[in-house]
Amino acid sequence: MTDSKYFTTTKKGEIFELKAELNSDKKEKKKEAVKKVIASMTVGKDVSALFPDVVNCMQTDNLELKKLVYLYLMNYAKSQPDMAIMAVNTFVKDCEDPNPLIRALAVRTMGCIRVDKITEYLCEPLRKCLKDEDPYVRKTAAVCVAKLHDINAQLVEDQGFLDTLKDLISDSNPMVVANAVAALSEIAESHPNSNLMDLNPQTINKLLTALNECTEWGQIFILDCLANYTPRDDRESQSICERVTPRLSHANSAVVLSAVKVLMKFMEMLPKDLDYYGTLLKKLAPPLVTLLSAEPELQYVALRNINLIVQRRPEILKHEMKVFFVKYNDPIYVKLEKLDIMIRLASQANIAQVLAELKEYATEVDVDFVRKAVRAIGRCAIKVEQSAERCVSTLLDLIQTKVNYVVQEAIVVIKDIFRKYPNKYESVIATLCENLDSLDEPEARAAMIWIVGEYAERIDNADELLESFLEGFHDESTQVQLQLLTAIVKLFLKKPTETQELVQQVLSLATQDSDNPDLRDRGYIYWRLLSTDPVAAKEVVLAEKPLISEETDLIEPTLLEELICHIGTLASVYHKPPSAFVEGSRGVQHKRLPGSTESGESESPDTASAAAVSDAPPAVIPSQGDLLGDLLNLDLTPPTTTGPPPPASSGMQMGAMDLLGGGLDSLMGDESEPPPIPLRMDTPQSPQLPHQSPSPPDYSPTELGGDLGGSPAIGAGFGAPPAAMPASFSAPVSGGLDDLFDLGGGVGMPMGAYSAPKTVWLPALKAKGLEISGTFARRSGVIQMEMTLTNKAMSVMTDFAIQFNRNSFGLAPAGPLQVLTPLSPNQSIEVTLPLNTVGPVMKMEPLNNLQVAVKNNIDVFYFSCQYPISMLFVEDGKMERQVFLATWKDIPNDSEAQFQIKDCHLSSDAASNKLQGSNIFTIAKRTVDGQDMLYQSMKLTNGIWVLTEMRVQAGNPVYTVSLKCRAAEVSQWVFQSYEAVLKN
Amino acid sequence: MISQVFILSSKGDHLIYKDFRGGAGNDIVSIFYEKVTALTGDQPPVVMNHKDIYFVHIRQGGLYWVATTTAGSSPFTITEFLNRLAALVKDYCGSLSEKSVQMNFALIYELLDEIVDYGYIQTTSSDVLKNFIQTEAVTSRPFSLFDLSNVGLFGAETQQSKVAPSSAATRPIQSSREQGGKSEIFVDVIERMTVVIGSNGLLMKADVEGEIRVKCYMSSCSEMRIGLNEEFSIGKSQLRGYGAAVRVDECSFHQAVRLDEFDSHRILRLCPSQGEQTVMQYQLSDDLPSALPFRLFPTIERDNGGRLLMYMKLRCDLPPKSAAINVCATIPVPKGSVSLSQELSSPDQSAELKPQSRAVVWQIARFAGGTQLSALFKLEVPSLSSASMLEVGPVGLSFELPKITATGLQIRFLRLSPIQPGPSQRWVRYVTHSDSYTIRI
Repeated sequence: MTDSKYFTTTKKGEIFELKAELNSDKKEKKKEAVKKVIASMTVGKDVSALFPDVVNCMQTDNLELKKLVYLYLMNYAKSQPDMAIMAVNTFVKDCEDPNPLIRALAVRTMGCIRVDKITEYLCEPLRKCLKDEDPYVRKTAAVCVAKLHDINAQLVEDQGFLDTLKDLISDSNPMVVANAVAALSEIAESHPNSNLMDLNPQTINKLLTALNECTEWGQIFILDCLANYTPRDDRESQSICERVTPRLSHANSAVVLSAVKVLMKFMEMLPKDLDYYGTLLKKLAPPLVTLLSAEPELQYVALRNINLIVQRRPEILKHEMKVFFVKYNDPIYVKLEKLDIMIRLASQANIAQVLAELKEYATEVDVDFVRKAVRAIGRCAIKVEQSAERCVSTLLDLIQTKVNYVVQEAIVVIKDIFRKYPNKYESVIATLCENLDSLDEPEARAAMIWIVGEYAERIDNADELLESFLEGFHDESTQVQLQLLTAIVKLFLKKPTETQELVQQVLSLATQDSDNPDLRDRGYIYWRLLSTDPVAAKEVVLAEKPLISEETDLIEPTLLEELICHIGTLASVYHKPPSAFVEGSRGVQHKRLPGSTESGESESPDTASAAAVSDAPPAVIPSQGDLLGDLLNLDLTPPTTTGPPPPASSGMQMGAMDLLGGGLDSLMGDESEPPPIPLRMDTPQSPQLPHQSPSPPDYSPTELGGDLGGSPAIGAGFGAPPAAMPASFSAPVSGGLDDLFDLGGGVGMPMGAYSAPKTVWLPALKAKGLEISGTFARRSGVIQMEMTLTNKAMSVMTDFAIQFNRNSFGLAPAGPLQVLTPLSPNQSIEVTLPLNTVGPVMKMEPLNNLQVAVKNNIDVFYFSCQYPISMLFVEDGKMERQVFLATWKDIPNDSEAQFQIKDCHLSSDAASNKLQGSNIFTIAKRTVDGQDMLYQSMKLTNGIWVLTEMRVQAGNPVYTVSLKCRAAEVSQWVFQSYEAVLKN
Repeated sequence: MISQVFILSSKGDHLIYKDFRGGAGNDIVSIFYEKVTALTGDQPPVVMNHKDIYFVHIRQGGLYWVATTTAGSSPFTITEFLNRLAALVKDYCGSLSEKSVQMNFALIYELLDEIVDYGYIQTTSSDVLKNFIQTEAVTSRPFSLFDLSNVGLFGAETQQSKVAPSSAATRPIQSSREQGGKSEIFVDVIERMTVVIGSNGLLMKADVEGEIRVKCYMSSCSEMRIGLNEEFSIGKSQLRGYGAAVRVDECSFHQAVRLDEFDSHRILRLCPSQGEQTVMQYQLSDDLPSALPFRLFPTIERDNGGRLLMYMKLRCDLPPKSAAINVCATIPVPKGSVSLSQELSSPDQSAELKPQSRAVVWQIARFAGGTQLSALFKLEVPSLSSASMLEVGPVGLSFELPKITATGLQIRFLRLSPIQPGPSQRWVRYVTHSDSYTIRI
């Protein structure tokens, strides 16, 4: 006799039949009937009508029958609450049964019946069962508390079950401990602020003891709970790690992953020079490798997690490159994930191996995989300089295959390689040009056009090539159109004689025939640039480009930290914080990695800021001198190439200055000087520039826009009052332009930068009656020293002159001190002295000290003053997001400084606007649980980048600013600027 | 936390549905089925979601084993759990199929109740569970030792059925209880090889993943001792004794294994629970103790008529008394290959062109050690270019090596204590499979 017959009864009168059978006297028959009922229930039939009959069968000493009835009850009690009460007596009686199995069964089932009336009766039996002598009953009761809490949280608190549950953590039976931990963790999640799980060293010790004894699943609960604990110091952290490490060799990969999570988290607290730290690193690798022997689905999950771990601590797996080599029969999603990790692990030591593999992958069948493999070769070239040559030749081999998509991918990556290593591999251009016709994807076409434009002077028929693209201009995608426009302008600047027609053609295509605001705007900018000052145009368009970052797709550092705390969970698969995909989840808590104890920072707000400021005096830091050396050399080239290129950008900056002067001058219509190209600026008939056009930096999602990279600087030039424009600029156009520049991030706006009120620098007593008070300001990109000279002496003062001593940032007067009229007694005069930063450099103490000598007809006077470092923040200090991420990661954590800004009541947006006025640019903003994280960058005139993360909690007047900079000693001055800017 | 567990047939019929937390509608099952059938091959099928419910599923025995969960939980844990659940159901019901699950639904519900409580996994050990489970399993037909019709060792059709009766696969563990019948224990050493051989013939990568699996049908076995090779060593630096050491890089053990004699004598002690369990897992990369089982010597050229000629010489380097079975070489060929003509060196091989997968599949049922086979394939490929020559390869080999372990791991002895009353049988079986054996051209 088999059970399958239960599924076959489909007759109409079946319910009646069952009813009769259920009321039968024979036990066997009853049991069969209940089975039939449950079979119907499983397939979704409604058998709730049988409720009283089934409940009648409940009073039996046959455990099998009892279980079946309970199964039915759990399913239907909710729909029949009144009748469910009938079962209560039996439950209560069963809870007293001498058989522990029945006691546990009763308490387990009662908890699953989600009917309010029943829960009232549950409390007493539950209380008894929590103290039961049998561990099986206790562990079931522990879970039941969680069930009850979900139905009626208040009841659980009132009845004191939570305290009993806490006591169970010290139970002698590990299974009970595990369930108590699981139940408490879940309850604690819904009360984020309660200290239900107040983990202290004693409880941790108990958990660790239970860990060794309980089932694998219990180990997971306990490990997950441990991960929420923050050890007091590195010694405690080490001892926990030591006791968790044996879990790494568990056969259950879920246990392994939970253990990895605990270790990754607690490792943060261990000093890196500790022997144990190294041992732990070694121990982590084998279990991670083992995870990859699972089924593809689990492999994928494991790889997503390993991807996080590699980003946080690449050293763990640096010798395990081979396990990430792709197997021929891996599913595509595993292959792509492996490829990603391979590139992250690629280094000089293993690059040859990696390249050989990638080359093989590039000839496989799967198109997506092949594309990614080709890209990977390019990324290797950029990441490991020594391999660049080999990568290029590999790519050329691949191009020879003429497989269409391989060729296109290869060209896209070769463009990046050109960017990274200019003037090195141009010999391959000829080969690339041969494949021009086969390119049909926008990205590849754009890349090829970029290459042609960039190296126009070396390609004889560059104009023909570009012209051929121009024929179908309107059918191209925006990406290609923009690139084509830029490339032709480059070509024109390089070979002006032959290409005038071409450039006119493309400009009119872009400005008059296109509906795309980006394209039109870029067209206008070029047009105007070319027509006003070709020299400036050259400097802007052909400027040196910022380097591209070697690491791509990096996860933001704070997000990464959070994800590390969620290793093994869904968050780690999606690479998103839980709050991003759990809607309305109850109280998601943000987890952060504990800080290293090395740096000794306790996060208490009072000491942190004080310490940061007072500890900062240079004398304390031994390596100061070296750093300074770098600082003073003005080209603080970062050790790796991630960073932006300071020299190039400061060159840019000067170019922009020029533009402001020279460019505008010629604009002002010196008619005698013939415009370089006879383009007439009669564009009024062109449609009015759309005001809603997106912000210019969007032109260039990645590297492509590097050539336009100067656009903010152009802004600085043209941002001058529109009134100064020549009349031929009709109103709508200039209005449009104005608008455009506003969108450029408010760069170069004359207002906004904060400047301190004037203070007295040189008191009259010391200078024979001459009093000088002053301040510094940055206006329209020019650093200015604004002074008030007051004559408090009895005689007239004349012949003023000023000179600076050498100083840390090379500040020097850009012109003579303009005091034209003699200063009579009791008279004051306001003088503005523009400054530049090309003067001689010497490190000053403090860093921002400036020693000034002022001469007049009476004597020479010396004084010193301090300038706010925000004066030195340049207008193009907005870093690209990717570069920011890479740089942030690249700067070691120990050069991170943290400050608090108190009593600041601005919203994050207002703060961001205010900071932007002083050239502190907000690159990205993330809101997590009401806390805004602003990522900001600024650049000093000597090319030093400063990166910060500012955390603003709504309603909390204390901001936290974390700051990273390769030249650590500027930190405190940057901090002062923050405070000054935000509070004024 | 697990919210629901359900088992569906491949056609989407509900076989088992258990809600641990309440609150979810019944339509969740059909939503899952729609989603899973809409999946394409290149999407990671790990987690799917519907609003804030997440589905984790595995496929075993032609059935979908699904758990739903909320966001905070770990897909790893749940997948492991589902695998264990499937294994337990198999142990209890004898086999995994739509029919056996349907017949034993009451048993499975009972199991689920003990395994999971309110979404917290309690235990998956059949030793613990047997104390609680009341329902007897129902099998579709009486168990017979001679019923070997659908039995394959490790799921593959082998011609080696004389090696061991693997009828164990279709036997419920409980039946031994009332049958009091045969006590049997099976210890399987299973290894999977991943090999990449470069186009220059050099070995680029060789990995072995292995496991020792115990299937126990003993009613009263208190302890079992499994002795491995004495020279077995773990880790790269450790050397034991002289001669060819049997070495693995890393190994992990089942929780129930006691290792107190492992360091000194390489003995695993455990009290096997009823049913199947993986006692030890290990892996070795790069440093295989023996020669690779297969070498391929390909020659590829175009002939004057524009045809593609592939001359393949395949050598089996196993010891002469051993043999590989079910050897299958898959050779990717250029797209647009129209037809194939072949010359094979012996009659027990076959080869055909599979246009959908763009590959020539060459099959050898049995391949004795120390021998060599060759094949000449001529392919008609219109528009054959030098670039399309690059599309040939890499060759993938799949095979099975019975009675051989690539690492050299052997079971020295298998002792049970106390000595079993009545007849008991102990079986030790070895096999090495190809996981991915790739030869680049």
